[in-house]
Amino acid sequence: MKTLRQLLRNPTSLTGLILVFFFAVIALAAPVIAPPAENARDPYIIPRDGFVVEPQPPSREHPLGTTEGQYDILYGIVWGTRTAFRVGLVITLFTAVMGVMVGSIAAFYGGWVDDVLMRFTEIFMAFPFLLAALTLTAVLQTVYGRGEAGILIWGAKVIALVAFGHLPTRPLDPVSLRLMTGMMALMAFGWMTYARLIRGDILSLKERDFVLAARTMGAGDFRILFRHILPNAIYPTLVVASMDIGSYVLSFAALGFLGLGAQIGYADWGQMISFARNWIPRLAQHWYIVLFPGATIMLFVLGWNLIGDAFRDILDPRLRGARG
Amino acid sequence: MRTYIIRRLLILPVLVLGVTILIFVLISMLTPYERAALYVTDIPKRQGAIDDVIAKYGLDDPIHEQYLRWMGKVVRGDLGWSKTDKSPVAEVIRRRLPATVELTLFASLPMVGVGIWLGIQAAVNHNKFIDQILRVNSIIGWSIPIFVFALIVMMIFYARLQWFPPGRLSDWAQRIVLSDEFSRYTQLNTIDSLLNGRGDILLDAVRHLVLPVLSLSYLNWALILRVTRSSMLETLRQDYLTTARAKGLTERNVVNKHALPNALIPVATIGGLVLIALLNGVVITETVFNYPGIGSFMAQAAITLDVISVLGIALYAGVVLVVGNLVVDLLYAFLDPRIRLA
Repeated sequence: MKTLRQLLRNPTSLTGLILVFFFAVIALAAPVIAPPAENARDPYIIPRDGFVVEPQPPSREHPLGTTEGQYDILYGIVWGTRTAFRVGLVITLFTAVMGVMVGSIAAFYGGWVDDVLMRFTEIFMAFPFLLAALTLTAVLQTVYGRGEAGILIWGAKVIALVAFGHLPTRPLDPVSLRLMTGMMALMAFGWMTYARLIRGDILSLKERDFVLAARTMGAGDFRILFRHILPNAIYPTLVVASMDIGSYVLSFAALGFLGLGAQIGYADWGQMISFARNWIPRLAQHWYIVLFPGATIMLFVLGWNLIGDAFRDILDPRLRGARG
Repeated sequence: MRTYIIRRLLILPVLVLGVTILIFVLISMLTPYERAALYVTDIPKRQGAIDDVIAKYGLDDPIHEQYLRWMGKVVRGDLGWSKTDKSPVAEVIRRRLPATVELTLFASLPMVGVGIWLGIQAAVNHNKFIDQILRVNSIIGWSIPIFVFALIVMMIFYARLQWFPPGRLSDWAQRIVLSDEFSRYTQLNTIDSLLNGRGDILLDAVRHLVLPVLSLSYLNWALILRVTRSSMLETLRQDYLTTARAKGLTERNVVNKHALPNALIPVATIGGLVLIALLNGVVITETVFNYPGIGSFMAQAAITLDVISVLGIALYAGVVLVVGNLVVDLLYAFLDPRIRLA
């Protein structure tokens, strides 16, 4: 509560909170702001107004103009807000859970378990994040693209359940599967920070008296870890996770920009900007295809970063005295 | 110090081995047909030719045997066949590496200088106007995706003003560089043109480098600025600086001679982060600016799902990062005596 009050008092984080709140309203009100066509099968597919290649400037019908292939920019931005929140929250949730599992097991059991898990973590960290995600997305799209993915399909189903509320018994449609390859790739190379963070926190906690007390009362390993240690160690991880939402949205947009994000026509900010790639020599004329989606991503990420920046200052006790 | 270095050096092969295993796990997710591209040097026209390749190279063999065979090839510098470029992956990397090296070199040198200088300015003027401006700027800079930034500078400086073109060299310069009268000592156009005494080519190379260098470095100077600022703030509050001031030293002297060396130690630790940002950044920057380096090739290969090329470059980048991190760690130990004793 005290942290929240500080966040609201600090002008930087207040701006951030307002930005994020603003986007949340857009996401919730998407069907009102940009109503999908009545016969549309999936509201996330941006409606096209004809098939003319050249982007069209803002007009009454398309307030922010259209991209190449006549996808409506306003519609894409509004429904893309939902995609951004979904992508950011789901990736953060999964990476944090994976990281906490690995890190807490390593710290709690120590010894060779710790050694093996931490070397494992270091190997994943030995790849530049975006590059690794790009690689894995390409591999996953090849694997899922041929229709039979074996055990990997179950990973996709778990994520689909959380991200789309898609029941595991129903087959996955290719549109959401394509979206999930990028998400899975970012998850696979994102969990390491959390693992190292929680490991450090647990290492300093597990020798404390309350753990010994729980053990003398006959509590098992799992109970001690999940009921006694984790609740006390999880706070810094939650803070870092909240700060990462924006950067995951950024990374996902980068994948989309490189052509490995959602299916063409899906409401996804990164992909909307990638439509501008073919028009670089004529961008002076078609400025709206870069500026509108670009400003949207920037403001969204800025909101999260402002909150995160203030969070860090509030929580770092060494800087507390310095803020006059 | 020596045990520290030895310990770090011993981890290196473990990490490199891990990197290769991870890449191979990804390769083995592909079917034998897709993996055949690791070995063939041309798309076979004959029916059943792929099956011969699978049999010949044992693509259905147990996984550990395949790994060893693949490693044998990797060690000899063979990374398979790139269907995007229609040449061996290793050959593509060798051909395109100088362009990427030139770009990252020019991006990293000024960015470290600018970032540190701005960080000091922000810390010395803590909570004053200049600090707030730099702070807000670095947060905003941190929030602009690199591809949006790159497209915007292209929009202004290329599409509208026609100052800086995309690519690496203009056609006329490219012809001269590839001709016999121009010796390519380093393959870096800027340095080679100086060595050949060709001012016009130097100018052309620089004109092509300005925008990609700007896009690749702005993100990093924001990062360096923030780390330098917070580290400098902490150092400035230490007692020994009060002592220095009490001795009557000028503020300039206190900041530059007494505070800065200690404040820069944590800045060295983000060397690894900067390297990651550069390796990630070249993929996007080179793609936007149509710059013929490794990054744009990787993006191109990834879109066409040319997995063999992508994995080859990922392996390469992984090894570069592991070695780079080792260098950063050793540098850090060299700068900070406390680490050596630990």
